[in-house]
Amino acid sequence: MTPPSLPLSRQRNSRAQAALLFTALTAGIATGLAIYSSAAVFIDLVQTATAVLFLPLLLSLVLAFLLDPPVTLLERRFGRSGAIFVVYLLVAIGVLLFFSWLIPHWQTAWTSLQADLPRYTARLTAFLRELLDQVQAELPFVDTHDLMIRVRALSDDLVRGVIISTPKSALRFGGLLLMVPLFTFFFLRDGGRILRSCISLAPNRTFEMMHDLTNLITTQLAHFIRGRIIEATIVGLVVYIGLSFTDIRYTGFLAVFAGITNLVPYIGPLIGMVPGVLIALVDLGIGGEFWWIIITYFFIAQVIVDNFILIPILISRYSNLHPLWVIIAIIIGGKLYGILGMIIGVPIASTVKIVLSEIRQYRRSFSLIDGNIDLDS
Amino acid sequence: MNILWGNIFRKRLEEESLAYFLGGAPVFAELGKRSRIQLESLVHVRTYKANETIFETGDPGSGMYVIRSGSVQVFERSASGVEREIARLGPQDFFGESTLVVPAKRTASARTLEPTVLIGLFRADITDLAKRRPGAAYRILLCIAKVVSERLHVADNELLRLRQSHPECFEDTRS
Repeated sequence: MTPPSLPLSRQRNSRAQAALLFTALTAGIATGLAIYSSAAVFIDLVQTATAVLFLPLLLSLVLAFLLDPPVTLLERRFGRSGAIFVVYLLVAIGVLLFFSWLIPHWQTAWTSLQADLPRYTARLTAFLRELLDQVQAELPFVDTHDLMIRVRALSDDLVRGVIISTPKSALRFGGLLLMVPLFTFFFLRDGGRILRSCISLAPNRTFEMMHDLTNLITTQLAHFIRGRIIEATIVGLVVYIGLSFTDIRYTGFLAVFAGITNLVPYIGPLIGMVPGVLIALVDLGIGGEFWWIIITYFFIAQVIVDNFILIPILISRYSNLHPLWVIIAIIIGGKLYGILGMIIGVPIASTVKIVLSEIRQYRRSFSLIDGNIDLDS
Repeated sequence: MNILWGNIFRKRLEEESLAYFLGGAPVFAELGKRSRIQLESLVHVRTYKANETIFETGDPGSGMYVIRSGSVQVFERSASGVEREIARLGPQDFFGESTLVVPAKRTASARTLEPTVLIGLFRADITDLAKRRPGAAYRILLCIAKVVSERLHVADNELLRLRQSHPECFEDTRS
């Protein structure tokens, strides 16, 4: 490569540089190969590195979508960052008030729950045993022994899990409390810019379409996420109000549980009912209040409020999933991320569906002239 | 101190900045300085090689382009594949504005003739700005609307003139 007319020092210099370059390249390639050949290790590394980030990133994305409208509203007056700070301040005040109301309640409820939980599960297993005995009396060939042991093990696990893992999850919660507001802030402030720089990587020919599509999809997703969260909150509130007419305890817990499980269509509301019905059964027995609780859960919260009022207003038909997909999403989510995965599996599946149907809609709405051209030629 | 920091905090030359260029382009000539800076954060700068397709007839269109440097050929392709040039555009010219507000398909094709830098302004960004800063979006859209309606006026007059000078050409189209 070096022309022979160059002075000796220059030549030596460039030779040294070449050697250095060669070494660096070899080392680089060797490292690359080593990493690449052990792809499993690499994927594992990525997985462990992102496992901690998964929940906070997801929560902050959801929060960013949720807080975007008020921030946009205030942006005209305060500027983007200023608007975010104002919204943060308001949210912080709200959270503070909520916790100052919650903490005294929480402590008493928590200690009594620790005592009550074994009672409820014992009642559940007793009820199941009765049921199974009945089944066995009528259908003697059904082997129920195994099932009984499993249910007992499961309920023991639940009790132990709740009592032991709470301090641990409190620690994690602290981490979330630190990370989520930070991430949300940056998503809110720079989300548009991050998206822009991602789209700008697209090749010239597809850039315009990608840009347009991304925007349509983001709008739909924002609608969907906001709709789901608002829906869950309102259902939780309705359950809270309905239950507070009765003497049932842990109204707050039950309402929060009903709200969260409401994120999963079809199956969620049923699971959301279980603890409420169980506690009502154990504490109140079957009577007027018990039926009122069932009606609250089922007819008022689900049928009237959710199906007749909230879903038509908040949720677009785009995000409707076939029940089969719902079940598949729940199973896959549960396999990947446990209970959390079961809750977020369906919304994630819905977002995938929104993306796909948005793309299809886009293609369809621009396919008319193509047909004409085909006719012409 | 000055040697260390001077370079970092050196302001970009006014002439180099995108906002300055946008102010010089006839479409945005009437924009104030603040709106121009808003606009600068809104547009996408895209670099094209020579002879690269920008869009084809029938592509979903979502915005307009202003030429920063280089040149662009706008052309039609007939059913038999013969190309007919409609316009040849240079720096500060703009094209594709008819799809900025309403989603529509491109009615002509465009390609670059030499290495070209285009500034794209798209509907999605404008609607987003309209939500966040309605005033700024209004000023930008008004600027574009002015230029577009001027063009429409000129085209109308041209059409009228043609109709008067060659009435026979318009007889069969009307029926």
